[in-house]
Amino acid sequence: MIKLSRRDVMTGTVALTAGTVLAATTTSPVAAAAPPAGRQAPGFYRYKVGSIEITVVTDGVNKFKFGDNHVTNKNREEVNAALAATYYEKDMMTTPYNPVVVNTGSKLVVIDTGTSEANFARSKGAAGQFHVNLAAAGIDRNAIDLVVISHFHGDHINGLLTPDNKLAFPNAEILVPAAEWKYFMDDGEMSRAPAGRMQEVFTNLRRVFDALGRKVTRYDPGTEVAPGITAVATPGHTPGHSSHVVSSGSAKVYIQADVTHVPFLFVRHPDWHAMYDQDGAMAEQTRRKVYDMLAAERMMVQGFHYPFPGLAYVEKAGSGYREIPVPWDPTI
Amino acid sequence: MTALTRRSLFATAAGAAAFLPAMVAPARAAAPPSGKQAPGFYRYKVGDYELTQISDGGRTFPMPDGFVRNVSKEQALAAAEAAYMPKGQVRVPFNPVVVNTGSKLVLIDTGFPPGAVPTAGLCQANLAAAGIDAKAIDIVVLSHLHPDHINGVKTADGALAFPNAEIKAPAPDWAFWMSDDNMSKAANDMMKGYFANTRKVLSDIAGKVTRYEWGKEVAPGITAIEASGHTPGHTAFAVASGSGRVLVQSDVTNIPELFLRNPDWHVAFDVEPDKAVATRRKFYDMAAAEKALIAGFHFAFPSLGYVEKDGTGYRLVPVAWNAAL
Repeated sequence: MIKLSRRDVMTGTVALTAGTVLAATTTSPVAAAAPPAGRQAPGFYRYKVGSIEITVVTDGVNKFKFGDNHVTNKNREEVNAALAATYYEKDMMTTPYNPVVVNTGSKLVVIDTGTSEANFARSKGAAGQFHVNLAAAGIDRNAIDLVVISHFHGDHINGLLTPDNKLAFPNAEILVPAAEWKYFMDDGEMSRAPAGRMQEVFTNLRRVFDALGRKVTRYDPGTEVAPGITAVATPGHTPGHSSHVVSSGSAKVYIQADVTHVPFLFVRHPDWHAMYDQDGAMAEQTRRKVYDMLAAERMMVQGFHYPFPGLAYVEKAGSGYREIPVPWDPTI
Repeated sequence: MTALTRRSLFATAAGAAAFLPAMVAPARAAAPPSGKQAPGFYRYKVGDYELTQISDGGRTFPMPDGFVRNVSKEQALAAAEAAYMPKGQVRVPFNPVVVNTGSKLVLIDTGFPPGAVPTAGLCQANLAAAGIDAKAIDIVVLSHLHPDHINGVKTADGALAFPNAEIKAPAPDWAFWMSDDNMSKAANDMMKGYFANTRKVLSDIAGKVTRYEWGKEVAPGITAIEASGHTPGHTAFAVASGSGRVLVQSDVTNIPELFLRNPDWHVAFDVEPDKAVATRRKFYDMAAAEKALIAGFHFAFPSLGYVEKDGTGYRLVPVAWNAAL
């Protein structure tokens, strides 16, 4: 009898040395083996918050070699060590995008839109999946009443447009944070923005909102953007960055947007500054306030850059936090 | 601008909320809620093999007395609550695995038949959602003979659920559960029920069941590993292709929230609890050292993760969902 040993288990050589392949005795009829499917399951997940139904609809994942300043206050070795500790590949950043759809009972609301349908082809299907998974979830984009934008980075707003630059949700009102609009639509701010990535952020958001004739409704923190969905100012990542608390009865979920970027780096290490954080110090301060509250209240967080389905509880762990994914509920 | 305070985070108060007036959407009926979960399957590659984790659903139930035999109920409930389970309850999911080796389509464990349990018995439906035809399954491998692993070999009306498949059961488990002598010595109602269930499900199809031994391949690239204790013939599997590996652990632990964190705890279902603890520690010490990918029947869907040492126990780190193969 073969005993459980590291070598045997890991190499799978047990049978090669021990011999008999029982499969040779199989009684199934001779038939071509079933072909591999080669396709992932549709990426959506449903849960209830009181009487509100939320559907997480993934836009997919972008995996790329990260640059030396990806975490502006940590070097590559430190980032790689954190990746290794969380079972990720060295030198590669894996960034998921997870917009949500909230059915309040009276309004169908999209919060953030992903990287756009045009990106689906560009990324060879790795990202830009939002419209595909929305359809798989049985949600008609024409039925969307409101699109709520958390902030103006491309992975949150580009999905507002179809590949031919039409509004992807033809019957929806577009809601944007007033502070975000004020800052980013200011031509003076644009002229002062550093060349490179920041200039591109300004250029891209103008491309998107100009295609929509700048027809948006601005919202302030503390207001309900839809029944049961309250905006919260969580600045730092961008000047007008907003999160959203969905609440029904005694149940709540905190739709954080980018309070943290990927959790395996920035929840574990809230003092690390992602290159995407426009004001790193303010983003860190916001992060700690929000995460201290989430941990104290045992409140669920929905993270745009958490691995799908992106729903978790948060606990304090050392000088940072740890996200505990909410177990997939097979029935709702 | 509203300052970020706990109070403001929670305030959905109508008083504070100036409801946005400019709703321009045309008047029409609100979209109805779907009320249905997404299909429960998840694909990944192990070398050249394509694997599909299949959710059979799960059960959430009030924690019975003796659920954990060797600690107080208060302690067990505290652990469940710390793991965000509903107060007073435990949540146990069931997740069979399909392995497409390129030459064989293999199902490891079966869940329950449709309709047998209100929130489980979803294996058939999720196989169908995954585009996997039950008739195309070549081999059904059973890790051990507990109901949540074997009952799905039959449909609700008792027919074979995988009519073209060879069924393989671990020889020592078959010998244990089919022994009338052992049945007569069953220590409690739960064990009596298991003996009766094994016979009900497998006796009339015994001729179709091949018994397999540990240390051998049960299908190409799928090796049976002794992991006894949970039951006398309990088996884990190493699925290997090229440089890819996954350990299909079956019930080396029941739910990780309790028994991976506390590997010395005895779940009521462990037939030989001390042996189960020894197997558990050996298995996870090895898996942690090797950073091995593990598929766990009772892990939350998609029931895949890594195990790391944490204090006197272990912690499960679920894999990140891969949105495209």
